[in-house]
Amino acid sequence: MSKFGISQPIKRVEDVRFLNGTGRYMDDTAPEGALRAYVFRSPVAHGEITTLDVADARAADGVHAVLTAAELDAAGVRNQMDAAVVKNRDGSRGAAPPRPILAIDRVRYVGEPVALIVAETLAQAKDAAELIELDVEDLPVWTTLAPGGEAIHPEAPENLAYDWAFGDAEQTEKVFAGAAHRVSLEIDDNRIIVNSMEPRGCWARWDGARMHVSFSGQGVWGLRDQIARNLGLDKGAVHVTTPDVGGGFGMKGFAYPEYFAVAEAARQTGRPVHWMADRSESMLSDNGGRDLVSVAEAAFDEDYKLIGYRVHTTSNLGAYNSGFGQNIQSELALKVLTGTYDVQDVFFAVKGIYTNTVQVDAYRGAGRPEAIYVLERLMDHAARQFGLSPWALRQKNFIPADAFPYVSASGETYDVGDFGRVLSRAEKEADLDGFKARRADSGAAGKLRGIGLCYYIESILGDPSETTKLEFTDTGKVRLYAGTQSNGQGHETVYAQILNEFTGIPMDAVEFVQGDSDLIAKGGGTGGSRSVTTQGTSIKATSSRLIENFTPFVAEELDAAPEEIDFEDGNFHARGTNKFIGLMDAAQAARDKGRDDLLVCEAETKLPGRSYPNGAHVCEVEIDPETGQTEVVRYTVVDDFGVLMNPTLAEGQVHGGVVQGLGQAIMENAAYDADGQLLTGTFMDYAMPRAIDTPFITFHSEPVPSTANPLGMKGCGEAGTVGAMAAVGNAVQDALWDRGIRRVDMPFTPLRVWSWLNRADMAAE
Amino acid sequence: MYNFDLIRPSTLEEAVKALGQDEAQALGGGQTLIPTLKQRLAMPETLVSLSGIDAIKGVCVHDDGRLSIGGGTTHATVAREAAAHYPGLAALAASIGDPAVRARGTIGGSLANNDPSACYPAAALGSGATIVTNAREIAADDYFQGMFTTALDDGEIITEVRFPVPEAAAYQKFEQPASRFALVGVFVARYADGVRVAVTGASEEGVFRWSEAEAALSSNFAADALKDLSVPADGMIGDLHGTPDYRAHLVKVLTGRAVAAAS
Ligand SMILES: Cc1cc2nc3c(=O)[nH]c(=O)nc-3n(C[C@H](O)[C@H](O)[C@H](O)COP(=O)(O)OP(=O)(O)OC[C@H]3O[C@@H](n4cnc5c(N)ncnc54)[C@H](O)[C@@H]3O)c2cc1C
Repeated sequence: MSKFGISQPIKRVEDVRFLNGTGRYMDDTAPEGALRAYVFRSPVAHGEITTLDVADARAADGVHAVLTAAELDAAGVRNQMDAAVVKNRDGSRGAAPPRPILAIDRVRYVGEPVALIVAETLAQAKDAAELIELDVEDLPVWTTLAPGGEAIHPEAPENLAYDWAFGDAEQTEKVFAGAAHRVSLEIDDNRIIVNSMEPRGCWARWDGARMHVSFSGQGVWGLRDQIARNLGLDKGAVHVTTPDVGGGFGMKGFAYPEYFAVAEAARQTGRPVHWMADRSESMLSDNGGRDLVSVAEAAFDEDYKLIGYRVHTTSNLGAYNSGFGQNIQSELALKVLTGTYDVQDVFFAVKGIYTNTVQVDAYRGAGRPEAIYVLERLMDHAARQFGLSPWALRQKNFIPADAFPYVSASGETYDVGDFGRVLSRAEKEADLDGFKARRADSGAAGKLRGIGLCYYIESILGDPSETTKLEFTDTGKVRLYAGTQSNGQGHETVYAQILNEFTGIPMDAVEFVQGDSDLIAKGGGTGGSRSVTTQGTSIKATSSRLIENFTPFVAEELDAAPEEIDFEDGNFHARGTNKFIGLMDAAQAARDKGRDDLLVCEAETKLPGRSYPNGAHVCEVEIDPETGQTEVVRYTVVDDFGVLMNPTLAEGQVHGGVVQGLGQAIMENAAYDADGQLLTGTFMDYAMPRAIDTPFITFHSEPVPSTANPLGMKGCGEAGTVGAMAAVGNAVQDALWDRGIRRVDMPFTPLRVWSWLNRADMAAE
Repeated sequence: MYNFDLIRPSTLEEAVKALGQDEAQALGGGQTLIPTLKQRLAMPETLVSLSGIDAIKGVCVHDDGRLSIGGGTTHATVAREAAAHYPGLAALAASIGDPAVRARGTIGGSLANNDPSACYPAAALGSGATIVTNAREIAADDYFQGMFTTALDDGEIITEVRFPVPEAAAYQKFEQPASRFALVGVFVARYADGVRVAVTGASEEGVFRWSEAEAALSSNFAADALKDLSVPADGMIGDLHGTPDYRAHLVKVLTGRAVAAAS
């Protein structure tokens, strides 16, 4: 193992530029002289547009263009966003009502884009927006997470977007009917606003023949295709780029209306156009996350072995289908429906509901945290109901270590795992034995202490294929072209490490290229914890091909036969001689000899299977019963991520993921009133976790290397979030159980916790 | 933000004169006003920055023991310089916002704004302070007149706030989880002639004195003295973060904790 290769805790090289202010984010890259765009959004949640008059705005100082649906139409722009749909239980397809770029005749949520104003300055664009006359005849607003209400789309009566199911309902019912023990629990999963540190933004430039769109996203190729389609251009005439991104979390993984409108504005004005959301705009218009309610049931035999599992979920989609909105709580949640437990009789049904709120789509984990949250809250509840240890109940029901590869009820092939070993380690690391004493100490200080466990499993998703191109430059560097898209995770560092491992190319010789559809023909982007596994595998394969390509040339240089050439630690070596040449020197020699063909190497790989990171999160909370305040005081993670590519980066992903999970659990919540107005539209009312709200999070690795990829790794980008929600939830439930409280739902805000305690006290009196 | 003119006088007289114009508004630390402007919720023609007037900055102790704080003094300065003379007040200042907010925001701006969840109103009312302006002196009991409403006239500048220093005092702030303003905050101060209890964050009428608690604590300065008291939920603020019942409950809990912290 080399000093810079795999598994070394190397500090992130990109952090130097991020931390000293030389990162190049959306606003930093906007072309000089770009016009500024401002989006005029619907102020009401539902209604028919009776007047939309932009004449005064168009005539205002500095204004170059005002686009509405009418102008898009006149320009021949396809005023529609694309989205995937699921298949209903009855075989039909989920509703696919059109979602416009700019509102057509009707508005369906507060914040829906109605017009785009383009002016010399942002202030002028905002001034002009105040001159737009919009009259809307109100329609009834539906914000309830259940079928019903005035249809928001004719395609979806009762606002039911889809009715999807998996599993054998009858067989599962039979198992439940014959079970010795049954439990059921209704579980809310609150809606969050993603709040990436850098909001969404884009700019576009039209040179008369080609359209260049730059946006803050998670992959350039999908948007390229959609821009081409909607603007009626050839794919080859569209160039999409992404600069440094300040956080995406799935929210930036999909196309948004602004990108199309801004591109069209650039085409119409002949000037570059630049749009950047401010924080309040992001809160109104970014895809939300979670927002579902599930009724979960489990059946056990007389020995408390899990034999049946059934979940009915209702999922909020917002006002339209976002890119993958319908698939998240159905198909993606299914991947880990039964978690780490050996149970085959399952039924999972999901209804998707339209409401007059902004769209809901992927958020860190995308369906899998939601599924694990439900399962792990229910397993905990079952243990409590049966008077068993939650730890023992899980150990009893784990898929045994000798049962791998194991095909889960959802049809996923778990390659490897040793859940029992990981959980035993967690018991030790979290000092379960010492909990009693810690609880007593908290009690003496007037606090209720609880401990919560979540044993999660994650399935990495996304395109299993990825390409790597390596190119030696005439400045002595090696350019690494990747098809993934860092949003801050540290790809530049870990890819250079992997390249170093297999080629010896020094890390500081690597120039990283990503996010450019002209320079990189295709890629899968970033999402579903796929990046390091897919790109790393591809880097390994490309490295092998590179060495192979060079070997005959080097043999000639070293006066040896190709089969006598070994490659080790960055050097070619002629066996049985003392002749060596380093790869970088070999590249220089190839350049000198006109062998340019050797200086570029590209390979695509496809993962043979998914990997399944898993682990135990153990959380301890202290609740002040007088105020209802919950504090997370202790947090331990033991993860099986297989072989760690960079332990520091992996731990960082866990820390960030845990904070997002506990943020949702303790304080984050997006709330709308009955009129569909967002009540949490600024940080004055939307609570984000801060450093002071999070305890020290200890992380331990208990690896079982994956056999589904040649690196033996398991993607870890989402795992922290997947584990955190139920660990916190179960800890809060543990703290409150003895006070007679039998159901607790996120977010565990002081008001809600106090209200439960207060109600329980009153009921006890 | 809409366009405005900015002037930065160095004397009180010039500032008063500038504020006499139409659509002119004082700018303190800007920690409330600037966000309001950014959201285009206000449209002043001229902002008169008070930050250049040295005469209304600083903390000093009068011969009679009262603590005097200039209206343009930042929270950070109060946190630092009042600590020796009036630790309860200094601790309150140190609990406002974050370091950036404390470095800019001023006591005059906070009291002029009289946000129902702000901290300083509790200290001023709980200490029986005197709010001194360019025109007059106003007793705290007369100064606060409901949410965002005060006795100040248009263009009147808070130049100084005089605090009688109590024998003991403490502020207990229960933070609203998002804004970290006071969901409820209680300031308790014990003087030789009685105890004052001022509550912020709770009432739809803004900061108020809890007189039953004052009476009970004046005869027995112990959390126990509150045992049989309760605050009616009527008139308490109800929002996402707290129902009227919850706020009423917190008033009592925090008053008890403030007494414990002060004794
Ligand atoms: C992130 C954040 C967190 C905060 N947290 C808290 C908190 O926890 N507790 C809390 O109490 N406050 C909090 N605040 C508010 C902060 O304390 C403000 O500084 C204060 O409310 C206003 O003071 P200012 O000097 O900034 O006034 P400005 O914003 O400049 O002005 C506010 C108002 O007062 C007027 N004004 C200013 N100075 C004077 C004067 N000398 N005489 C007359 N009128 C004047 C202005 O015309 C304006 O109407 C927070 C603010 C922010 C941005």
